[in-house]
Amino acid sequence: MVEFTFMRLALVASAAMGAALGLIGVYLVIRRVVFLGLVLANAATVGAAAAEVFGWSSEIASAATAVGAALGFGLVRRPRRVSDESLMGWAYAAASSAPVLILAAGSAPDADALHMLFGNILAVSDSHTVGLVLVALGIGLAHVLFARRFLLVTFDADGAHVAGVNTRLWSLGLNLLVGLAAAAAVQELGALLTFALLTLPAMAALLVTTNMRATFLTAAGLGATLPCLGLAVSFYFDLPAGPASVALLSASVLAAAAVGRFSSAR
Amino acid sequence: MLSVGYNRAPVVEGLSFAVHRGDILGIVGPNGSGKTALLRTILGLLRPIRGEVERQTGLAISYVPQRDRIDTIFPVTALDVVLMGRAARTGPFERLQRTDLDAGIRALSRLGAEPLGRQLFRNLSGGQQQRVLLARALAGEPDVLVLDEPTAGMDAASEAGILEFLRDLNRTRGVTILLVTHMLPIVLDLASSIMLLGARTILHGTVDEVLQEDRLSDVFGVPVHLGVVAGRRTLVVGRRTGVDG
Repeated sequence: MVEFTFMRLALVASAAMGAALGLIGVYLVIRRVVFLGLVLANAATVGAAAAEVFGWSSEIASAATAVGAALGFGLVRRPRRVSDESLMGWAYAAASSAPVLILAAGSAPDADALHMLFGNILAVSDSHTVGLVLVALGIGLAHVLFARRFLLVTFDADGAHVAGVNTRLWSLGLNLLVGLAAAAAVQELGALLTFALLTLPAMAALLVTTNMRATFLTAAGLGATLPCLGLAVSFYFDLPAGPASVALLSASVLAAAAVGRFSSAR
Repeated sequence: MLSVGYNRAPVVEGLSFAVHRGDILGIVGPNGSGKTALLRTILGLLRPIRGEVERQTGLAISYVPQRDRIDTIFPVTALDVVLMGRAARTGPFERLQRTDLDAGIRALSRLGAEPLGRQLFRNLSGGQQQRVLLARALAGEPDVLVLDEPTAGMDAASEAGILEFLRDLNRTRGVTILLVTHMLPIVLDLASSIMLLGARTILHGTVDEVLQEDRLSDVFGVPVHLGVVAGRRTLVVGRRTGVDG
């Protein structure tokens, strides 16, 4: 399989973004805002759809809409009568329908909508692969530099605020990081796999680890390897790559739950 | 005059008071009386509806929230939690040093919780978690310690241990303490002053000034009787029972 250039590029891009999304997804899961990942991934597709129709740069457009959504969730005060969760449900519904409508209004073929939902990692170009690796390295670097701050504002935002930490700024920074990661990934991986990578490796890691360092490493490791395994399954069994990867990620959570239960029973 | 509340709806109005270095202020009141709103306003977590809160600049304040506000999904050890109290005082690019680790262990040790250091925070009992959160606050070497219902859900022995610790902390290190509770007896022998928040009345003053049966009965809306048991002040809500009064 690796003798094909397109497969090598797909493997590198999947591993890089899988590791980055797995890593950053831990924050989403422990903050109990996994749907933010879904919203941001879909927000990125709105930008990509608009770029398709209007001929803009899809990278810039999808980053703009994802970052805009991340800023919106960080800055706009939600009404007290609705929960954060329902607000995310609203944003998800809006962001899911918008790309289809934009593409339909722009007379783009239906295949474009499918491409945005499921991605087309097998068609990733050299330059996009390099771009994804750089984005992944940036996310990794931000995590290494600021993990302690991100954890502080996630574990007890009030306590951190009282101690003098600018919790609003750090929470916003975390949202922006997720937004950028989602925007970069959604182009090639699709919204579904992007969301799965933001959520499922972190879930699996939390089920089997007992310290934050191990959680981050496990989530990044699962995020890097399982989409590659998904590509292999897709290649050898002639299955679509994105759904194959999502299925493997889902199975990893079940396996982690079993391992976690077994180890806690001992 | 300070007014505090949520969404521009005042819960407590007409407050004006000062807390001095070394004071222990107990903020007490029945559920829904606005204790937490007042505390969050003092801490800068909630904007006052009217008036302002002035803090001396450079004060190190540590906050011990209600235990159930801390999410136990995090796979962190008790020592990790305590070290967050140090990390909050360092810059974003600074790493924790050996001195921070020592301070964290010392804080755990002062609360008799050193053996818990390596255990997962989520696996600890409620009382143990409370001690760890207190150790986290202590690790930040605060000038002011603010606690929200610090003994909620604790057994009598653990509660007495925490109160004794706070008393000692105030006496030996001069740490100013603000403590919110709905259990008035908790602060009777601890606080230097009490603020009682009632539906119609707010009482603020020294313990002796506030502890008057008719005033307390008015605030709580039920008869309150004061007495002394084993040399300690206590109170009974409802009809009179067998305490020396």
